[in-house]
Amino acid sequence: MSVYVFHVLIMMGIYSLLALSLNIIVGFAGLVSLGHAAFFGIGAYLSGILMIKGLGFPAAFFLSGCATAVLGLCLALPALRVKDDYLAIVTLGFGIIIGLVFMNLDITGGADGLVGIPPVSLFGKPLYSKPGFLGLVLGVLVIMIASMYSLKQSKIGRAWAAIRDNDVSAMFMGINVYAYKTMAFITSSFWAGLAGSLYAHYTAYINPHTFNMHTSIMILSMVVLGGIGSITGSILGAILLILLPEVLRPLADYQDIFYGALLVAMMVFRPQGIMGRVKITEMFGRKK
Amino acid sequence: MLLQQLINGLVSGCVYALVALGYTMIFGILGIVNFAQGEIYMFGAFSAVVTLAATGSIWLSAAAGIAVACIIGLLLERVAFRPLRGMHPLIPLISAIGASIFLSSLARLIFGPEDKSFPLEFHPANYSFFNAQINDLQLIIIGVSIFLMALLTAFLNMTRHGKAIIAVAMDSDAARLSGINVNRAYELTFLMGSALSGAAGIMMAVYYNATSPNMGLLPGLKGFSAAILGGVGSIPGAIIGGLVLGIAENLGAAYISSSFKDAFAFIALVLVLVLMPRGIMRSRK
Repeated sequence: MSVYVFHVLIMMGIYSLLALSLNIIVGFAGLVSLGHAAFFGIGAYLSGILMIKGLGFPAAFFLSGCATAVLGLCLALPALRVKDDYLAIVTLGFGIIIGLVFMNLDITGGADGLVGIPPVSLFGKPLYSKPGFLGLVLGVLVIMIASMYSLKQSKIGRAWAAIRDNDVSAMFMGINVYAYKTMAFITSSFWAGLAGSLYAHYTAYINPHTFNMHTSIMILSMVVLGGIGSITGSILGAILLILLPEVLRPLADYQDIFYGALLVAMMVFRPQGIMGRVKITEMFGRKK
Repeated sequence: MLLQQLINGLVSGCVYALVALGYTMIFGILGIVNFAQGEIYMFGAFSAVVTLAATGSIWLSAAAGIAVACIIGLLLERVAFRPLRGMHPLIPLISAIGASIFLSSLARLIFGPEDKSFPLEFHPANYSFFNAQINDLQLIIIGVSIFLMALLTAFLNMTRHGKAIIAVAMDSDAARLSGINVNRAYELTFLMGSALSGAAGIMMAVYYNATSPNMGLLPGLKGFSAAILGGVGSIPGAIIGGLVLGIAENLGAAYISSSFKDAFAFIALVLVLVLMPRGIMRSRK
Protein backbone atom coordinates (compact mmCIF):
# COMPACT_ATOMS: atom_id res chain seq x y z
CA MET A 1 0.00 0.00 0.00
CA SER A 2 2.69 2.45 0.98
CA VAL A 3 4.59 1.55 -2.20
CA TYR A 4 1.51 2.59 -4.14
CA VAL A 5 1.23 5.87 -2.23
CA PHE A 6 4.88 6.64 -2.95
CA HIS A 7 4.36 5.81 -6.62
CA VAL A 8 1.46 8.27 -6.86
CA LEU A 9 3.50 10.91 -5.02
CA ILE A 10 6.47 10.45 -7.37
CA MET A 11 4.20 10.78 -10.42
CA MET A 12 2.73 13.94 -8.89
CA GLY A 13 6.26 15.30 -8.46
CA ILE A 14 7.30 14.51 -12.03
CA TYR A 15 4.10 15.96 -13.48
CA SER A 16 4.46 19.05 -11.28
CA LEU A 17 7.83 19.60 -12.96
CA LEU A 18 6.19 19.21 -16.36
CA ALA A 19 3.25 21.49 -15.57
CA LEU A 20 5.56 24.15 -14.14
CA SER A 21 7.80 23.97 -17.18
CA LEU A 22 4.84 24.35 -19.53
CA ASN A 23 3.65 27.24 -17.38
CA ILE A 24 6.77 29.14 -18.45
CA ILE A 25 5.50 29.04 -22.05
CA VAL A 26 1.78 29.41 -21.33
CA GLY A 27 1.60 31.47 -18.16
CA PHE A 28 4.75 33.59 -18.23
CA ALA A 29 5.15 34.28 -21.93
CA GLY A 30 1.49 33.91 -22.96
CA LEU A 31 2.24 31.43 -25.73
CA VAL A 32 0.72 28.00 -26.26
CA SER A 33 2.22 24.56 -26.77
CA LEU A 34 0.33 21.36 -27.50
CA GLY A 35 3.50 19.32 -27.93
CA HIS A 36 5.06 19.43 -24.50
CA ALA A 37 5.13 15.63 -24.14
CA ALA A 38 7.67 15.58 -26.98
CA PHE A 39 10.22 17.36 -24.76
CA PHE A 40 9.33 15.05 -21.89
CA GLY A 41 9.96 12.10 -24.21
CA ILE A 42 13.19 13.46 -25.67
CA GLY A 43 14.59 13.91 -22.18
CA ALA A 44 13.48 10.42 -21.17
CA TYR A 45 14.88 8.65 -24.24
CA LEU A 46 18.14 10.59 -24.26
CA SER A 47 18.83 10.01 -20.60
CA GLY A 48 17.89 6.33 -20.91
CA ILE A 49 20.08 5.77 -23.95
CA LEU A 50 23.02 7.69 -22.46
CA MET A 51 22.92 5.64 -19.27
CA ILE A 52 22.58 2.35 -21.15
CA LYS A 53 25.70 3.42 -23.06
CA GLY A 54 27.47 3.71 -19.72
CA LEU A 55 27.24 7.34 -18.65
CA GLY A 56 26.69 8.13 -14.96
CA PHE A 57 23.37 9.48 -13.75
CA PRO A 58 24.32 13.08 -12.97
CA ALA A 59 25.90 13.51 -16.41
CA ALA A 60 23.01 11.82 -18.25
CA PHE A 61 20.50 13.87 -16.26
CA PHE A 62 22.16 17.17 -17.00
CA LEU A 63 22.96 16.34 -20.64
CA SER A 64 19.39 15.27 -21.39
CA GLY A 65 18.13 18.61 -20.03
CA CYS A 66 20.60 20.54 -22.16
CA ALA A 67 19.96 18.51 -25.31
CA THR A 68 16.20 18.92 -24.88
CA ALA A 69 16.75 22.66 -24.54
CA VAL A 70 18.60 22.64 -27.87
CA LEU A 71 15.62 20.83 -29.45
CA GLY A 72 13.36 23.42 -27.86
CA LEU A 73 15.41 26.04 -29.69
CA CYS A 74 15.09 24.05 -32.94
CA LEU A 75 11.29 24.03 -32.57
CA ALA A 76 11.05 27.64 -31.46
CA LEU A 77 12.99 29.14 -34.36
CA PRO A 78 10.47 28.16 -37.07
CA ALA A 79 7.39 27.84 -34.84
CA LEU A 80 7.58 31.30 -33.30
CA ARG A 81 7.14 32.90 -36.70
CA VAL A 82 3.45 32.15 -36.16
CA LYS A 83 1.12 33.03 -33.29
CA ASP A 84 -1.89 31.83 -31.32
CA ASP A 85 -3.78 28.99 -32.93
CA TYR A 86 -1.16 28.61 -35.62
CA LEU A 87 1.43 28.08 -32.91
CA ALA A 88 -0.89 25.57 -31.22
CA ILE A 89 -1.12 23.42 -34.34
CA VAL A 90 2.60 23.71 -35.18
CA THR A 91 3.57 22.50 -31.69
CA LEU A 92 0.94 19.78 -31.89
CA GLY A 93 2.39 18.66 -35.22
CA PHE A 94 5.88 18.71 -33.69
CA GLY A 95 4.65 16.43 -30.91
CA ILE A 96 3.17 13.97 -33.41
CA ILE A 97 6.31 13.98 -35.57
CA ILE A 98 8.57 13.34 -32.56
CA GLY A 99 6.21 10.56 -31.42
CA LEU A 100 6.56 8.90 -34.84
CA VAL A 101 10.34 9.27 -34.65
CA PHE A 102 10.39 7.42 -31.28
CA MET A 103 8.18 4.79 -32.85
CA ASN A 104 10.37 4.19 -35.92
CA LEU A 105 13.99 4.57 -34.86
CA ASP A 106 16.12 1.55 -33.98
CA ILE A 107 17.95 3.20 -31.11
CA THR A 108 14.68 4.00 -29.29
CA GLY A 109 13.47 0.41 -29.58
CA GLY A 110 10.56 1.33 -31.85
CA ALA A 111 7.05 0.53 -30.69
CA ASP A 112 8.39 -1.93 -28.11
CA GLY A 113 10.06 0.87 -26.22
CA LEU A 114 13.38 1.17 -24.46
CA VAL A 115 14.02 -1.66 -22.02
CA GLY A 116 16.49 -2.01 -19.16
CA ILE A 117 17.19 1.60 -18.26
CA PRO A 118 19.54 1.58 -15.26
CA PRO A 119 18.26 3.12 -12.02
CA VAL A 120 19.47 6.42 -10.68
CA SER A 121 22.79 6.11 -8.89
CA LEU A 122 24.08 8.83 -6.64
CA PHE A 123 27.59 8.82 -5.19
CA GLY A 124 28.17 5.35 -6.65
CA LYS A 125 25.12 3.78 -5.03
CA PRO A 126 22.01 2.81 -7.00
CA LEU A 127 18.84 4.36 -5.64
CA TYR A 128 16.18 1.65 -5.55
CA SER A 129 13.93 2.78 -2.71
CA LYS A 130 10.79 4.72 -3.59
CA PRO A 131 11.04 7.17 -0.66
CA GLY A 132 14.60 7.92 -1.71
CA PHE A 133 13.53 8.61 -5.28
CA LEU A 134 10.68 10.79 -4.05
CA GLY A 135 13.28 12.78 -2.13
CA LEU A 136 15.28 13.28 -5.33
CA VAL A 137 12.18 14.40 -7.28
CA LEU A 138 11.17 16.80 -4.51
CA GLY A 139 14.70 18.18 -4.41
CA VAL A 140 14.61 18.94 -8.14
CA LEU A 141 11.11 20.37 -7.73
CA VAL A 142 12.22 22.74 -4.96
CA ILE A 143 15.14 23.98 -7.07
CA MET A 144 12.77 24.48 -9.99
CA ILE A 145 10.17 26.38 -7.93
CA ALA A 146 12.88 28.63 -6.54
CA SER A 147 14.23 29.29 -10.02
CA MET A 148 10.72 29.99 -11.33
CA TYR A 149 10.07 32.59 -8.63
CA SER A 150 13.36 34.34 -9.29
CA LEU A 151 12.83 34.07 -13.05
CA LYS A 152 9.41 35.69 -12.68
CA GLN A 153 10.92 38.70 -10.90
CA SER A 154 13.93 38.98 -13.20
CA LYS A 155 14.34 41.14 -16.29
CA ILE A 156 13.48 38.11 -18.45
CA GLY A 157 10.32 37.39 -16.45
CA ARG A 158 9.16 40.99 -16.72
CA ALA A 159 9.86 40.99 -20.46
CA TRP A 160 7.75 37.81 -20.79
CA ALA A 161 4.92 39.44 -18.84
CA ALA A 162 5.05 42.46 -21.14
CA ILE A 163 4.91 40.21 -24.22
CA ARG A 164 2.07 38.20 -22.71
CA ASP A 165 0.00 41.29 -21.98
CA ASN A 166 0.61 43.00 -25.31
CA ASP A 167 3.35 41.94 -27.66
CA VAL A 168 3.08 44.98 -29.92
CA SER A 169 3.61 47.46 -27.11
CA ALA A 170 6.35 45.21 -25.69
CA MET A 171 8.08 45.51 -29.04
CA PHE A 172 7.79 49.30 -28.95
CA MET A 173 9.30 49.32 -25.46
CA GLY A 174 12.40 47.87 -27.05
CA ILE A 175 11.93 44.23 -26.03
CA ASN A 176 13.18 41.73 -28.58
CA VAL A 177 9.92 39.75 -28.69
CA TYR A 178 11.20 36.89 -30.85
CA ALA A 179 14.33 36.36 -28.72
CA TYR A 180 12.40 36.36 -25.44
CA LYS A 181 9.73 33.99 -26.77
CA THR A 182 12.51 31.65 -27.93
CA MET A 183 14.04 31.87 -24.47
CA ALA A 184 10.73 30.76 -22.94
CA PHE A 185 10.74 27.65 -25.13
CA ILE A 186 14.38 26.86 -24.29
CA THR A 187 13.89 27.21 -20.52
CA SER A 188 10.68 25.23 -20.61
CA SER A 189 12.09 22.37 -22.65
CA PHE A 190 15.16 22.18 -20.42
CA TRP A 191 13.01 21.45 -17.36
CA ALA A 192 10.74 19.10 -19.30
CA GLY A 193 13.85 17.19 -20.38
CA LEU A 194 14.97 16.84 -16.75
CA ALA A 195 11.50 15.58 -15.81
CA GLY A 196 11.78 13.05 -18.65
CA SER A 197 15.12 11.85 -17.36
CA LEU A 198 13.71 11.32 -13.86
CA TYR A 199 10.73 9.46 -15.31
CA ALA A 200 12.90 7.16 -17.45
CA HIS A 201 15.10 6.11 -14.54
CA TYR A 202 12.12 5.72 -12.26
CA THR A 203 10.13 3.37 -14.50
CA ALA A 204 13.21 1.66 -16.08
CA TYR A 205 11.12 1.15 -19.22
CA ILE A 206 9.68 3.73 -21.60
CA ASN A 207 7.64 3.44 -24.76
CA PRO A 208 6.37 5.98 -27.32
CA HIS A 209 2.77 5.86 -26.05
CA THR A 210 3.69 7.63 -22.82
CA PHE A 211 4.74 10.71 -24.76
CA ASN A 212 1.80 11.14 -27.13
CA MET A 213 -0.64 13.97 -27.60
CA HIS A 214 -2.79 12.90 -24.65
CA THR A 215 0.11 13.55 -22.31
CA SER A 216 0.71 16.97 -23.88
CA ILE A 217 -2.93 17.79 -23.39
CA MET A 218 -2.94 16.50 -19.85
CA ILE A 219 0.03 18.72 -18.95
CA LEU A 220 -1.70 21.72 -20.53
CA SER A 221 -4.88 20.86 -18.62
CA MET A 222 -2.87 20.88 -15.38
CA VAL A 223 -1.64 24.39 -16.11
CA VAL A 224 -5.07 25.74 -17.08
CA LEU A 225 -6.85 23.92 -14.27
CA GLY A 226 -4.47 25.30 -11.66
CA GLY A 227 -4.70 28.80 -13.04
CA ILE A 228 -2.62 30.07 -15.98
CA GLY A 229 0.58 31.71 -14.74
CA SER A 230 0.24 30.56 -11.12
CA ILE A 231 3.16 28.52 -9.78
CA THR A 232 1.17 27.01 -6.91
CA GLY A 233 -1.67 26.44 -9.35
CA SER A 234 0.45 24.30 -11.69
CA ILE A 235 1.45 22.06 -8.81
CA LEU A 236 -2.13 21.80 -7.57
CA GLY A 237 -3.29 21.05 -11.13
CA ALA A 238 -0.70 18.28 -11.43
CA ILE A 239 -1.66 16.79 -8.07
CA LEU A 240 -5.35 16.90 -8.96
CA LEU A 241 -5.05 15.38 -12.44
CA ILE A 242 -2.77 12.58 -11.21
CA LEU A 243 -5.06 11.93 -8.26
CA LEU A 244 -8.27 11.99 -10.30
CA PRO A 245 -7.72 8.75 -12.26
CA GLU A 246 -6.68 7.02 -9.02
CA VAL A 247 -9.84 8.21 -7.26
CA LEU A 248 -11.99 7.33 -10.28
CA ARG A 249 -10.42 3.87 -10.60
CA PRO A 250 -13.35 2.07 -8.90
CA LEU A 251 -15.56 3.38 -11.71
CA ALA A 252 -13.55 1.17 -14.11
CA ASP A 253 -14.97 1.65 -17.59
CA TYR A 254 -16.67 4.89 -16.66
CA GLN A 255 -13.40 6.48 -15.52
CA ASP A 256 -12.62 8.38 -18.74
CA ILE A 257 -16.17 9.63 -19.11
CA PHE A 258 -16.00 11.26 -15.69
CA TYR A 259 -12.54 12.60 -16.39
CA GLY A 260 -13.73 14.30 -19.58
CA ALA A 261 -16.92 15.60 -18.00
CA LEU A 262 -14.99 16.97 -15.01
CA LEU A 263 -12.61 18.86 -17.30
CA VAL A 264 -15.58 20.52 -19.03
CA ALA A 265 -17.31 21.22 -15.71
CA MET A 266 -14.20 22.76 -14.17
CA MET A 267 -13.74 25.06 -17.16
CA VAL A 268 -17.39 26.09 -17.11
CA PHE A 269 -17.66 26.66 -13.36
CA ARG A 270 -14.18 27.90 -12.53
CA PRO A 271 -12.58 29.16 -15.75
CA GLN A 272 -9.90 31.16 -13.94
CA GLY A 273 -8.47 27.91 -12.53
CA ILE A 274 -8.21 26.74 -8.95
CA MET A 275 -5.82 29.49 -7.93
CA GLY A 276 -7.01 32.16 -10.36
CA ARG A 277 -5.34 35.41 -9.35
CA VAL A 278 -4.95 34.36 -5.71
CA LYS A 279 -1.38 34.01 -4.53
CA ILE A 280 -0.64 31.48 -1.82
CA THR A 281 1.74 33.91 -0.12
CA GLU A 282 -1.13 36.39 0.20
CA MET A 283 -3.57 33.79 1.53
CA PHE A 284 -1.43 33.11 4.57
CA GLY A 285 0.35 36.45 4.74
CA ARG A 286 -0.63 39.68 6.39
CA LYS A 287 -4.27 40.66 6.28
CA LYS A 288 -5.25 44.28 6.15
CA MET B 1 1.99 5.68 -60.03
CA LEU B 2 2.07 9.43 -59.54
CA LEU B 3 -1.46 9.82 -60.88
CA GLN B 4 -2.65 6.99 -58.63
CA GLN B 5 -1.21 8.70 -55.55
CA LEU B 6 -2.82 11.97 -56.62
CA ILE B 7 -6.21 10.24 -56.84
CA ASN B 8 -5.80 8.61 -53.41
CA GLY B 9 -4.68 11.94 -52.01
CA LEU B 10 -7.68 13.67 -53.53
CA VAL B 11 -10.06 11.25 -51.80
CA SER B 12 -8.59 11.69 -48.33
CA GLY B 13 -8.10 15.38 -49.06
CA CYS B 14 -11.83 15.79 -49.72
CA VAL B 15 -12.59 14.26 -46.33
CA TYR B 16 -10.05 16.46 -44.55
CA ALA B 17 -11.57 19.44 -46.32
CA LEU B 18 -15.05 18.61 -44.98
CA VAL B 19 -13.72 18.34 -41.43
CA ALA B 20 -11.65 21.50 -41.96
CA LEU B 21 -14.77 23.41 -43.02
CA GLY B 22 -16.33 22.64 -39.66
CA TYR B 23 -13.24 23.88 -37.83
CA THR B 24 -12.90 26.97 -39.94
CA MET B 25 -16.55 28.01 -39.63
CA ILE B 26 -16.60 27.57 -35.87
CA PHE B 27 -13.28 29.34 -35.54
CA GLY B 28 -14.30 32.11 -37.90
CA ILE B 29 -17.44 32.91 -35.97
CA LEU B 30 -16.49 32.12 -32.36
CA GLY B 31 -12.70 32.32 -32.37
CA ILE B 32 -12.44 28.91 -30.69
CA VAL B 33 -11.06 25.58 -31.82
CA ASN B 34 -13.57 22.78 -31.45
CA PHE B 35 -11.27 19.93 -30.60
CA ALA B 36 -14.20 17.52 -30.37
CA GLN B 37 -14.80 17.74 -34.14
CA GLY B 38 -13.09 14.36 -34.67
CA GLU B 39 -15.44 12.75 -32.14
CA ILE B 40 -18.45 14.15 -33.99
CA TYR B 41 -17.02 12.53 -37.12
CA MET B 42 -16.70 9.23 -35.23
CA PHE B 43 -20.23 9.38 -33.81
CA GLY B 44 -21.62 10.09 -37.29
CA ALA B 45 -19.90 6.98 -38.61
CA PHE B 46 -21.01 4.77 -35.70
CA SER B 47 -24.61 5.91 -35.83
CA ALA B 48 -24.69 5.14 -39.54
CA VAL B 49 -23.27 1.66 -38.96
CA VAL B 50 -25.78 0.90 -36.22
CA THR B 51 -28.74 2.20 -38.23
CA LEU B 52 -27.66 0.29 -41.31
CA ALA B 53 -27.39 -2.93 -39.32
CA ALA B 54 -30.89 -2.35 -37.93
CA THR B 55 -32.75 -1.11 -41.00
CA GLY B 56 -30.68 -2.06 -44.01
CA SER B 57 -31.35 1.23 -45.72
CA ILE B 58 -28.25 3.18 -46.75
CA TRP B 59 -30.19 6.45 -47.07
CA LEU B 60 -31.76 6.11 -43.64
CA SER B 61 -28.39 5.31 -42.09
CA ALA B 62 -26.72 8.32 -43.71
CA ALA B 63 -29.54 10.53 -42.44
CA ALA B 64 -29.26 9.05 -38.94
CA GLY B 65 -25.48 9.52 -38.90
CA ILE B 66 -25.74 13.16 -39.89
CA ALA B 67 -28.62 13.78 -37.47
CA VAL B 68 -26.68 12.35 -34.53
CA ALA B 69 -23.64 14.42 -35.51
CA CYS B 70 -25.82 17.56 -35.57
CA ILE B 71 -27.38 16.84 -32.18
CA ILE B 72 -23.96 16.29 -30.57
CA GLY B 73 -22.68 19.50 -32.16
CA LEU B 74 -25.61 21.50 -30.77
CA LEU B 75 -25.25 19.97 -27.31
CA LEU B 76 -21.54 20.77 -27.30
CA GLU B 77 -22.21 24.38 -28.20
CA ARG B 78 -24.75 24.70 -25.37
CA VAL B 79 -22.88 22.86 -22.63
CA ALA B 80 -19.18 23.23 -23.32
CA PHE B 81 -18.78 26.43 -25.33
CA ARG B 82 -21.57 28.94 -24.78
CA PRO B 83 -20.79 29.50 -21.07
CA LEU B 84 -17.15 30.20 -21.98
CA ARG B 85 -17.66 32.87 -24.59
CA GLY B 86 -15.16 35.73 -24.32
CA MET B 87 -12.75 33.93 -21.98
CA HIS B 88 -9.02 33.29 -22.42
CA PRO B 89 -8.77 31.15 -25.60
CA LEU B 90 -7.11 28.24 -23.76
CA ILE B 91 -10.19 27.73 -21.60
CA PRO B 92 -12.63 26.68 -24.34
CA LEU B 93 -9.74 24.63 -25.78
CA ILE B 94 -9.45 22.57 -22.58
CA SER B 95 -13.22 22.34 -22.37
CA ALA B 96 -13.31 20.99 -25.93
CA ILE B 97 -10.58 18.47 -25.10
CA GLY B 98 -12.61 17.36 -22.07
CA ALA B 99 -15.65 16.96 -24.31
CA SER B 100 -13.59 14.96 -26.77
CA ILE B 101 -12.35 12.57 -24.04
CA PHE B 102 -15.94 12.26 -22.80
CA LEU B 103 -17.32 11.47 -26.26
CA SER B 104 -14.67 8.93 -27.26
CA SER B 105 -15.01 7.03 -23.99
CA LEU B 106 -18.79 7.18 -24.32
CA ALA B 107 -18.44 5.60 -27.76
CA ARG B 108 -16.18 2.93 -26.30
CA LEU B 109 -18.87 2.10 -23.75
CA ILE B 110 -21.75 2.07 -26.22
CA PHE B 111 -20.13 0.45 -29.25
CA GLY B 112 -17.29 -1.53 -27.65
CA PRO B 113 -13.55 -0.92 -28.04
CA GLU B 114 -12.92 -3.04 -31.14
CA ASP B 115 -13.19 -2.07 -34.81
CA LYS B 116 -16.54 -2.62 -36.44
CA SER B 117 -16.80 -3.26 -40.15
CA PHE B 118 -19.45 -1.60 -42.24
CA PRO B 119 -22.41 -3.99 -42.43
CA LEU B 120 -22.82 -3.56 -46.17
CA GLU B 121 -20.52 -5.04 -48.78
CA PHE B 122 -19.52 -2.80 -51.60
CA HIS B 123 -18.06 -4.18 -54.78
CA PRO B 124 -16.99 -1.01 -56.45
CA ALA B 125 -16.23 -1.11 -60.15
CA ASN B 126 -12.80 0.07 -61.17
CA TYR B 127 -12.15 2.43 -64.00
CA SER B 128 -8.63 2.74 -65.30
CA PHE B 129 -7.07 5.51 -67.28
CA PHE B 130 -3.40 6.40 -67.90
CA ASN B 131 -2.25 3.42 -65.75
CA ALA B 132 -4.19 4.69 -62.74
CA GLN B 133 -7.35 3.30 -61.24
CA ILE B 134 -10.31 4.97 -59.66
CA ASN B 135 -13.37 3.18 -58.34
CA ASP B 136 -17.02 4.05 -57.87
CA LEU B 137 -16.62 4.63 -54.17
CA GLN B 138 -13.83 7.15 -54.64
CA LEU B 139 -15.85 8.94 -57.32
CA ILE B 140 -18.85 9.07 -54.97
CA ILE B 141 -16.75 10.46 -52.10
CA ILE B 142 -15.26 13.15 -54.32
CA GLY B 143 -18.68 13.93 -55.80
CA VAL B 144 -20.50 14.15 -52.47
CA SER B 145 -17.73 16.30 -51.02
CA ILE B 146 -17.84 18.74 -53.91
CA PHE B 147 -21.64 18.85 -53.65
CA LEU B 148 -21.53 19.59 -49.90
CA MET B 149 -18.90 22.28 -50.35
CA ALA B 150 -20.93 23.94 -53.09
CA LEU B 151 -24.06 23.70 -50.96
CA LEU B 152 -22.28 25.34 -48.02
CA THR B 153 -20.86 28.15 -50.14
CA ALA B 154 -24.27 28.79 -51.70
CA PHE B 155 -25.94 28.76 -48.29
CA LEU B 156 -23.49 31.23 -46.79
CA ASN B 157 -23.60 33.64 -49.68
CA MET B 158 -27.20 33.46 -50.84
CA THR B 159 -29.54 32.88 -47.91
CA ARG B 160 -30.53 35.21 -45.09
CA HIS B 161 -29.25 32.84 -42.42
CA GLY B 162 -25.97 32.33 -44.25
CA LYS B 163 -25.42 36.05 -44.57
CA ALA B 164 -26.25 36.43 -40.88
CA ILE B 165 -23.43 33.97 -40.06
CA ILE B 166 -20.96 35.94 -42.17
CA ALA B 167 -22.08 39.16 -40.47
CA VAL B 168 -21.60 37.68 -37.00
CA ALA B 169 -18.16 36.39 -38.00
CA MET B 170 -17.16 39.88 -39.12
CA ASP B 171 -18.41 41.73 -36.04
CA SER B 172 -20.76 40.09 -33.60
CA ASP B 173 -21.67 43.33 -31.78
CA ALA B 174 -22.57 45.16 -34.96
CA ALA B 175 -24.53 42.11 -36.10
CA ARG B 176 -26.48 42.06 -32.84
CA LEU B 177 -27.24 45.77 -33.14
CA SER B 178 -28.65 45.27 -36.61
CA GLY B 179 -31.10 42.73 -35.29
CA ILE B 180 -29.39 39.43 -36.05
CA ASN B 181 -30.00 36.68 -33.52
CA VAL B 182 -26.36 35.97 -32.67
CA ASN B 183 -27.05 32.82 -30.67
CA ARG B 184 -29.03 31.37 -33.57
CA ALA B 185 -26.06 32.06 -35.86
CA TYR B 186 -23.73 30.22 -33.47
CA GLU B 187 -26.09 27.26 -33.29
CA LEU B 188 -26.43 27.14 -37.06
CA THR B 189 -22.66 27.21 -37.45
CA PHE B 190 -22.22 24.28 -35.08
CA LEU B 191 -25.06 22.47 -36.82
CA MET B 192 -23.49 22.80 -40.26
CA GLY B 193 -19.95 22.10 -39.10
CA SER B 194 -21.11 18.94 -37.34
CA ALA B 195 -23.19 17.79 -40.31
CA LEU B 196 -20.16 18.09 -42.59
CA SER B 197 -17.96 16.16 -40.14
CA GLY B 198 -20.64 13.51 -39.72
CA ALA B 199 -20.89 13.09 -43.49
CA ALA B 200 -17.11 12.83 -43.75
CA GLY B 201 -17.07 10.17 -41.01
CA ILE B 202 -19.72 8.08 -42.75
CA MET B 203 -17.88 8.19 -46.07
CA MET B 204 -14.59 7.20 -44.48
CA ALA B 205 -16.27 4.36 -42.57
CA VAL B 206 -17.50 2.98 -45.90
CA TYR B 207 -14.18 3.64 -47.67
CA TYR B 208 -11.96 1.89 -45.11
CA ASN B 209 -14.74 -0.48 -44.02
CA ALA B 210 -13.93 0.20 -40.37
CA THR B 211 -15.25 2.22 -37.45
CA SER B 212 -13.57 2.47 -34.05
CA PRO B 213 -13.88 4.83 -31.08
CA ASN B 214 -10.51 6.37 -31.94
CA MET B 215 -11.16 6.79 -35.65
CA GLY B 216 -11.84 10.52 -35.26
CA LEU B 217 -8.54 11.46 -33.70
CA LEU B 218 -6.24 11.75 -36.70
CA PRO B 219 -8.82 13.01 -39.22
CA GLY B 220 -9.82 15.58 -36.60
CA LEU B 221 -6.23 16.76 -36.16
CA LYS B 222 -5.63 16.78 -39.88
CA GLY B 223 -8.85 18.67 -40.50
CA PHE B 224 -7.68 21.22 -37.95
CA SER B 225 -4.30 21.41 -39.69
CA ALA B 226 -6.01 21.80 -43.03
CA ALA B 227 -8.09 24.68 -41.69
CA ILE B 228 -4.96 26.39 -40.35
CA LEU B 229 -3.03 25.62 -43.52
CA GLY B 230 -5.65 27.29 -45.66
CA GLY B 231 -5.99 30.23 -43.28
CA VAL B 232 -8.55 29.93 -40.49
CA GLY B 233 -11.87 31.53 -41.17
CA SER B 234 -11.56 31.14 -44.93
CA ILE B 235 -13.96 28.69 -46.63
CA PRO B 236 -11.96 28.23 -49.87
CA GLY B 237 -8.82 28.07 -47.70
CA ALA B 238 -10.19 25.09 -45.78
CA ILE B 239 -10.96 23.25 -49.01
CA ILE B 240 -7.53 23.94 -50.53
CA GLY B 241 -5.83 23.14 -47.23
CA GLY B 242 -7.59 19.78 -47.02
CA LEU B 243 -6.63 18.83 -50.55
CA VAL B 244 -3.00 19.93 -50.13
CA LEU B 245 -2.72 17.91 -46.92
CA GLY B 246 -4.32 14.78 -48.39
CA ILE B 247 -2.12 14.84 -51.49
CA ALA B 248 1.07 15.69 -49.56
CA GLU B 249 0.59 12.80 -47.18
CA ASN B 250 -0.10 10.25 -49.92
CA LEU B 251 2.88 11.38 -51.99
CA GLY B 252 5.12 11.32 -48.89
CA ALA B 253 3.94 7.84 -47.95
CA ALA B 254 4.47 6.53 -51.48
CA TYR B 255 7.84 8.07 -52.29
CA ILE B 256 9.59 8.60 -48.94
CA SER B 257 8.43 6.35 -46.11
CA SER B 258 5.05 4.85 -45.34
CA SER B 259 5.68 4.52 -41.60
CA PHE B 260 5.91 8.30 -41.41
CA LYS B 261 2.65 8.80 -43.33
CA ASP B 262 0.96 10.73 -40.53
CA ALA B 263 4.01 12.94 -40.11
CA PHE B 264 3.98 14.26 -43.68
CA ALA B 265 0.72 16.13 -43.20
CA PHE B 266 2.27 18.00 -40.28
CA ILE B 267 5.63 18.54 -41.95
CA ALA B 268 3.79 20.10 -44.91
CA LEU B 269 1.87 22.24 -42.44
CA VAL B 270 5.00 23.51 -40.69
CA LEU B 271 6.70 24.26 -44.02
CA VAL B 272 3.73 26.19 -45.38
CA LEU B 273 3.28 28.17 -42.17
CA VAL B 274 6.95 29.11 -42.01
CA LEU B 275 6.75 30.44 -45.55
CA MET B 276 3.23 31.88 -45.31
CA PRO B 277 2.49 32.59 -41.65
CA ARG B 278 -1.17 33.42 -42.23
CA GLY B 279 -2.04 30.38 -44.32
CA ILE B 280 -2.52 29.91 -48.05
CA MET B 281 -5.63 32.06 -48.30
CA ARG B 282 -5.00 34.87 -45.80
CA SER B 283 -7.42 34.42 -42.96
CA ARG B 284 -10.17 36.89 -42.34
CA LYS B 285 -9.44 38.03 -38.83
